[in-house]
Amino acid sequence: MSKKFLKLVALICAMALAFSLAACGTKKEKPADSNATSAETKKDTVKTDVAKTSSKEVEFWSVFTGPDGANMQKMVDEYNKTNPAMKVKHRPILGDDLYAKIPTMVASGKNIPDLCVNHVERLPLFVEKDMLIPLDGYLAKNGKIKPENYVKTAWDMGTISGKHYSVPLDVHSFLTYYNEDLLKKYNAMNVIEDKKITFDEIKQVAQAAKKDKIKGVGVTWMRVCFLSWFADLGGKLSEDGTNPSFNSEAGIKALQNFKDMHDQGFTTVDGDDPVQLFKAGKLVFLPEGIWMKSGLDEVKTLKYGTANMPSFDIKTVNNWTSSHQIVMLKNPNMTEERANAALDFLAWVGENSLEWAKAGQNPASLKILENAEYKSMKQSFLLTMPETLKIHNYKYYGFAVEALDKVVTDAIFGKADIKKGLEKAQKETADRIKVGK
Amino acid sequence: VRRSKIAPYLFISPQIILFAIFFAVPAITGIYVAFTDWNLFEAPVFTGFKNFYEILFNKDSTFYMQFHNGLWNTVQFVIYTVPICIIVPLLMAMALNTKLVAYKFFQSVYYLPSLLSISAVVLTWVFMFNKNNGLINNVFNLDVIWGGVSRGGGQQPYTWIALVILTVWWCIGGNLIIYMAALSGVSKDLVEAACIDGANSLQKFLHIIIPGIKNPLTYTFVLTTIAQFNIFGQPFMFSTGGPSESTYVLIMYIRTLAFGSGEPQAGLASAMSVMLGLCILVVSIFQYAFMREKEN
Repeated sequence: MSKKFLKLVALICAMALAFSLAACGTKKEKPADSNATSAETKKDTVKTDVAKTSSKEVEFWSVFTGPDGANMQKMVDEYNKTNPAMKVKHRPILGDDLYAKIPTMVASGKNIPDLCVNHVERLPLFVEKDMLIPLDGYLAKNGKIKPENYVKTAWDMGTISGKHYSVPLDVHSFLTYYNEDLLKKYNAMNVIEDKKITFDEIKQVAQAAKKDKIKGVGVTWMRVCFLSWFADLGGKLSEDGTNPSFNSEAGIKALQNFKDMHDQGFTTVDGDDPVQLFKAGKLVFLPEGIWMKSGLDEVKTLKYGTANMPSFDIKTVNNWTSSHQIVMLKNPNMTEERANAALDFLAWVGENSLEWAKAGQNPASLKILENAEYKSMKQSFLLTMPETLKIHNYKYYGFAVEALDKVVTDAIFGKADIKKGLEKAQKETADRIKVGK
Repeated sequence: VRRSKIAPYLFISPQIILFAIFFAVPAITGIYVAFTDWNLFEAPVFTGFKNFYEILFNKDSTFYMQFHNGLWNTVQFVIYTVPICIIVPLLMAMALNTKLVAYKFFQSVYYLPSLLSISAVVLTWVFMFNKNNGLINNVFNLDVIWGGVSRGGGQQPYTWIALVILTVWWCIGGNLIIYMAALSGVSKDLVEAACIDGANSLQKFLHIIIPGIKNPLTYTFVLTTIAQFNIFGQPFMFSTGGPSESTYVLIMYIRTLAFGSGEPQAGLASAMSVMLGLCILVVSIFQYAFMREKEN
């Protein structure tokens, strides 16, 4: 190595060091709030002449960067118009970015939002890693938020080892969209009478539709379909709460049943786009998320309805469900006053969640069931059958579903053996648990 | 005397500082993390070569399978795309270099896809490769399942072919511009002299044009290889790694491990990244050496 090169390396190192020191220096001088907030606060202080605390706003971070962000903003604006003790400031952040940020943010103890949206599946990990504040004390003091006013499964997911950590915002599920014209054509409107559809009923309709080259049911996001049907058969992702156990009889049956339907020509096949076929009136049943509704509404010629996910037997119906939950991150600057103001906002959201339903969601607050406009919405029937909303409660849910995603579609299309696929996914889950701490 | 030595360093310092902040520091941190069990939440604990043992030698481990499968898929992609990403733009540049009518227009058209983001590119080709309504199946009267609609859909080798086509379409522009510039630098006298001596097109190409653009050729060869080793967006969005994980490339595994929906496993992911980096380094050195050899 030449001397010049060594000199250059030394220079780079020196510069890097100098720069990082400089960065540290400026950081220390910065106030606890981010520039934007403190600027905002300053403006407010001048206007209202109140300058007691560092920030007079509840900082609320969400993952709603899509069109639903506008609905949330509208709700926040409405709330701020009610002249609350503290106004709310909404900041949408891309989910993956937010989740990557949380550990470092909490560790630094700076710039932490007062309220933050988390997907329900992330809660157990964040609680285990001590990222969240238990809300029990604040909830008791505030007194406006009552567990019985929320969808039970969604609320219960926030209770971990005896403490409660979150207030649910919504429950979003997979359900079945059906083409009304096609059902009439095949004299099968009775199938959806109770909003419950069995696989046998689908087979009958699909058999009748075959002559018109119309498919019975779509092969869509198989991971969540599998999780719904697996639950129908009494399956649990983990029997003991730690080790994965979906490579079981229930797991095999859940996939085998649908693979058989695929092999008999009742489902869409590899390469088909089920949503597109459904929109074109070439598919009778489409299992999809409630968030697909607005896309289907765009097709004016399409007459469709909604029902529960297909099941083996109408007695046990499970619709895979997830939930946006609102939490408080560990924050040294959290005060009773701030927490109370934050919960005031959440209580208001619970009372006024129609706007959130318009975003295609099912609000988790049962209060919405009194609203006539909501009741006419196509996803609202799910809230009247809360027992069908299946949230898989498993600490390693993230590992399990990522592993399942790699095998379940292949299994239906016959590209992988069902038993071997589940074995592989279960091993991947177990290996990832083993490597983690 | 000393002062004059400092001045050049001052000129290159902006770039060096950026390099240090956005490349050197993260790269060194990444290498350190590869030797730890870091999960982003707690302080990393040094675990020696455990992560490397896990992905390189522990045959029973899922991560051994993921690393080998991911690396092999990445290498396959490099082998399929790099030659095409060199040859196609080179031929196009030669055609355009004959200064045909409106060649500037064609040049812009060929360059245009390079300006698009990967999501726009993939979305466009998802429509093109749609089995039932796609342009390609309809124009060529095919019934091929390219993939691109459902998670894990598609059939090999068509999914690979689709990925290669969309990648080549996306990235011919950059190399095309470089070749255009290089070709205009090839001495016309030499070409003319060869013509008079009775050389045919192939001979002119091999003995005059190729040696004439050797340096840009090496440059694009190495850079294209490095770029394709970092393949992620195309299979992530088009085929989601399917069918049967046959297009699940290494960076997809790395991403799932470090930023998936479960507890992050940044140590293991970094070990995979370091191995990928080493592979790229070795291949690049080999390429440079090979091209230098020819020069001598």
